[in-house]
Amino acid sequence: MLSLQHLSKYYQAGGNKTFVLNDLSLDVDEGEFVSIMGPSGSGKSTLLNIIGLLDEPSEGYHYFAGEAVHLLKEKQRSAMSRGYMGYVFQAYHLIDELTVYENIETPLIYQNIKGSERKALVADILDRFNIVGKKDLFPSQLSGGQQQLVGIARALIAKPKLLLADEPTGNLNSKQGDEIMELFLKLNREDGVTIIQVTHSEKNAEYGNRIINLLDGKIESSRVLNHQ
Amino acid sequence: MWKSYLTSAFRSFKNNRGFAAINILGLALGLTAFLLIIFYVSDELSYDRFNTKADRIYRVNEDLKFGNNEVFYAVSMAPLAQALKEDFPEVENAVRLKNAWSARIKKGDVTIRENKLAFADPSLFQVFTLPMIEGNAVTALKEPNTVVLTESTARKYFNSTQVLGRTLLFDDHLNYKVTGVIRDLPKTSHFNFDFFLSMSSLEESRENKWLRSNFSTYVLLKEGADVKQFEGALNGFLQRHSGAEVQAELKMTYSSFEKSGNYFRLNLIPLKDIHLKSNRTGELGPNSTVQYVYIFSAIAFFILLIACVNFMNLATARSANRAKEVGVRKVLGSSRSYLIAQFLTESILVTFMAAVLAFGAALFLLPLFNQLSGKEMAVSAQSFIWLLPLFIGLVLLIGVSAGAYPAFFLSAFQPIQVLKGKLSTGFKASGLRNFLVVFQFSISIFLIIGTLVIYKQLNYIRTKNLGYNRDQVVIVQNSYELNDQAKLFKQEVKRLPGVLNATLTGYLPTSNWHNTAMFYKDASLDSKRSLFPETWGVDEDYIDALGMTMASGRSFSKDMLTDSSGIIINESAAKFLDLKEPLNKTLFKSNGGERTESNTKAYHIIGVVKDFNFSSLRDNIGPVVLFLDANNGALSIRVKTTDLKKVMAQIEQTWKSISPNVPISVSFMDQDFDATYRSEQRIGRLFILFTTLAISIACLGLFGLAAFAAEQRSKEIGIRKILGASVPVIVRMLSVDFLKLVVLAIVIASPLAWFLMYKWLQDFAYRVQIQWWIIAIAGIAALLIAFLTISFQSVKAALSNPVKSLRSE
Ligand SMILES: Nc1ncnc2c1ncn2[C@@H]1O[C@H](COP(=O)(O)OP(=O)(O)O)[C@@H](O)[C@H]1O
Ligand SMILES: [Mg+2]
Repeated sequence: MLSLQHLSKYYQAGGNKTFVLNDLSLDVDEGEFVSIMGPSGSGKSTLLNIIGLLDEPSEGYHYFAGEAVHLLKEKQRSAMSRGYMGYVFQAYHLIDELTVYENIETPLIYQNIKGSERKALVADILDRFNIVGKKDLFPSQLSGGQQQLVGIARALIAKPKLLLADEPTGNLNSKQGDEIMELFLKLNREDGVTIIQVTHSEKNAEYGNRIINLLDGKIESSRVLNHQ
Repeated sequence: MWKSYLTSAFRSFKNNRGFAAINILGLALGLTAFLLIIFYVSDELSYDRFNTKADRIYRVNEDLKFGNNEVFYAVSMAPLAQALKEDFPEVENAVRLKNAWSARIKKGDVTIRENKLAFADPSLFQVFTLPMIEGNAVTALKEPNTVVLTESTARKYFNSTQVLGRTLLFDDHLNYKVTGVIRDLPKTSHFNFDFFLSMSSLEESRENKWLRSNFSTYVLLKEGADVKQFEGALNGFLQRHSGAEVQAELKMTYSSFEKSGNYFRLNLIPLKDIHLKSNRTGELGPNSTVQYVYIFSAIAFFILLIACVNFMNLATARSANRAKEVGVRKVLGSSRSYLIAQFLTESILVTFMAAVLAFGAALFLLPLFNQLSGKEMAVSAQSFIWLLPLFIGLVLLIGVSAGAYPAFFLSAFQPIQVLKGKLSTGFKASGLRNFLVVFQFSISIFLIIGTLVIYKQLNYIRTKNLGYNRDQVVIVQNSYELNDQAKLFKQEVKRLPGVLNATLTGYLPTSNWHNTAMFYKDASLDSKRSLFPETWGVDEDYIDALGMTMASGRSFSKDMLTDSSGIIINESAAKFLDLKEPLNKTLFKSNGGERTESNTKAYHIIGVVKDFNFSSLRDNIGPVVLFLDANNGALSIRVKTTDLKKVMAQIEQTWKSISPNVPISVSFMDQDFDATYRSEQRIGRLFILFTTLAISIACLGLFGLAAFAAEQRSKEIGIRKILGASVPVIVRMLSVDFLKLVVLAIVIASPLAWFLMYKWLQDFAYRVQIQWWIIAIAGIAALLIAFLTISFQSVKAALSNPVKSLRSE
């Protein structure tokens, strides 16, 4: 579903280019669960942002769901990201002014989905994530793990084809982290959601079916796992 | 969608109560001031518009130049109204009004002094819209000794409005029959009378004299009449009618009169312009000036602008905090226009709340504001016809214009920039925000300087050496009612302990009495060598009793029989006459009628009195000639006492012993003087009020910005403190940036304020200088106020526990 070919991203610093991603090629199929690892500054977030259409590469080809993304206009790309992507962040990035319910509902509002339908969808996901009792609380009233749960619920509410998670467990303790990973696994296995996550933890990376190691903007190694 | 805009707007207020409060309060304050000024200005602009034919009504003014003298009259000649009606087909109607000044009217056993009376032609009710409750509007003022009362006057005297045919006794000897009752005059009429006496009661109204001007003449033009053409024809008309009289009185033809540089002209002023644009000799009441309407409109606009700037500044300052929200929303799929709509909703909501508060406050404060401004404005159900659209218009205009910049600014954030933390979330030094702070403070400093100058000028007027001493002078205003016994009254009063002196005459620097006459340097009555001064008939105690000073010569004396042909002139008259040694020079005056040398009277100048002010301090002192006369208009008594009450009682006792039936009417000269400047004092007070408001609003904004900067830099402050920075160092660090802006505002505003106030002062013949320290005071005050505002926040931030602010990151 996703193909990156000879992708580069660099920043002009003085006279010379600093490469963040350097001639990188990567294919991801539908239904995969990919973990990206690598030292800090190796370009993981940049890669994820480009895949999520939040950032643009400097060079290279980028295909997503059969479209040549590198040829699309800004408007079309943002329409595409709205329809296909769900994002989960290390820092949760919930809107402090909105309740749990409203945070989850927000993407639906932006997609002009009717009120009654929104209600049903949000009720459904609250139920699935076991957070019905928290729906009227504000983010500041939740623990980190609960906030990330809300973040994931929000990312999934519009039924994205691709879930992108940048260090989703980075701010959580290991027990909370395990729960989130179990959830990802379940989403991937049972609901067929394609997931690309960035993580620093070998253990969490192994929840995926493929681990990609980045170093200095290049894929240093890639390994496929066979879970049974 | 709307619901989500509103809920997030409300939540955002709740979570930022402080800023929301500053926003709403600042805007509400500004709007309140704006509304009060709007009330004031619209009241000023509404004068005389209640007349349904206002567009077609004009007053005829008269301009006169003779010799060195120029006079601009609001009054014109007795036969003018009738002649205009006869000569010009475009004149539909004309009416004359003449102030009757004062009368004593009997109500049962009591006598009441009334001061709002005027003689009027019967056509009054055809020209002006003064609806009759009782009586016939066509015939009401036809007969001599008839009177039309206002509704409240009728009730005052008869407890009823059904009073046709009843009579009122004027001054103990004249019976006036009531032939009509009209509604009370609107406050927004440029003349304001309670009694309209029939013009036919007045002998003078029938005089066919074209060189005497005592009547306010109004014409009603026919629909579609060409005003320009009519006004242009007036001078030919005047020449036709007055030529013979000019020839007889001045011994020259009309054309040679004009050839020698003199003129005698009529012109028109639209009724609707009188209140704001007319300041001539002989107005029916004090008018206002359009200048103040402009000044106050500008202030209203600026205050609103300052309040809007606060709003924008706080919104963009908070943008750092909201950047995250914008970023997340965009990642979740919000388009830019959604975000813009969301921020605009927020700003319109703030404006709405502020406007509700402001409208409430303005209505609540209106009575107080009336007191301050001397107006009688009221809000009725009818006012809502324009208040409601004004409300909606203001909310939308301010909400959108103040919210637009933050909305576009915030919605333009790039989501990854924000989420990566690349967008510096610190208190960004924004050029625009700095510009706006400078702008606000420039206006504030401008207003401080303006207020100081105006205040100083008004104070100067109040305390200026006027050339006479107005303190401790009691004036018996109606001594003329004692007739021949006025002199006796004066003698008796002079004998009272505590009374220093007394002078019997109506011609006082604080009175409205005016009389003019022509004086010539040569017996041949050559008008090129003439003077057209005010001529005041006074007695021998005048100079001393009023505390005037002789520049040379002597005052009148009882013992000098020749003083009946002696005159005292003021310095200004000496200057006009170009007399180096005026003493003992002779001036000639025509006795009227035949202009032969034998028909002139010679006066010799026995003294020159130092100039004293008698009209407005806006005007230069004109020439005055004092001569001995038995004028008994008023008795001015100079007292020297610590027990004024006792002296007053004795004066009244003396009066009663002479005239037990007529009540005495007294005033104090200093109060009469102050009354002349009451409207200026009011304007001064309003100025101070609005300036204070403007500065408060600007400071409120600065307070918010400072609070915000301190909050944003709390981590930095914490680190600096851990590294050993002292509280003063941190306060300085936080304050200096803002104070620099205030200094810049001082540099910008001072010359501008100096220039405009300098122009304003040119209107006054007697005026203060704008000293450098006025600007220094304004600058220091602005800096001090700003510093106090900022340091409150800075000190709070500097004193906070550094560990706390660091942990929260
Ligand atoms: N706007 C930018 N200008 C210059 N360098 C940048 C910019 N944004 C990111 N970088 C650099 O790109 C590199 C990769 O960043 P990132 O993708 O966030 O790494 P990771 O997520 O692997 O830690 C870093 O060295 C960072 O300094
Ligand atoms: Mg990263």
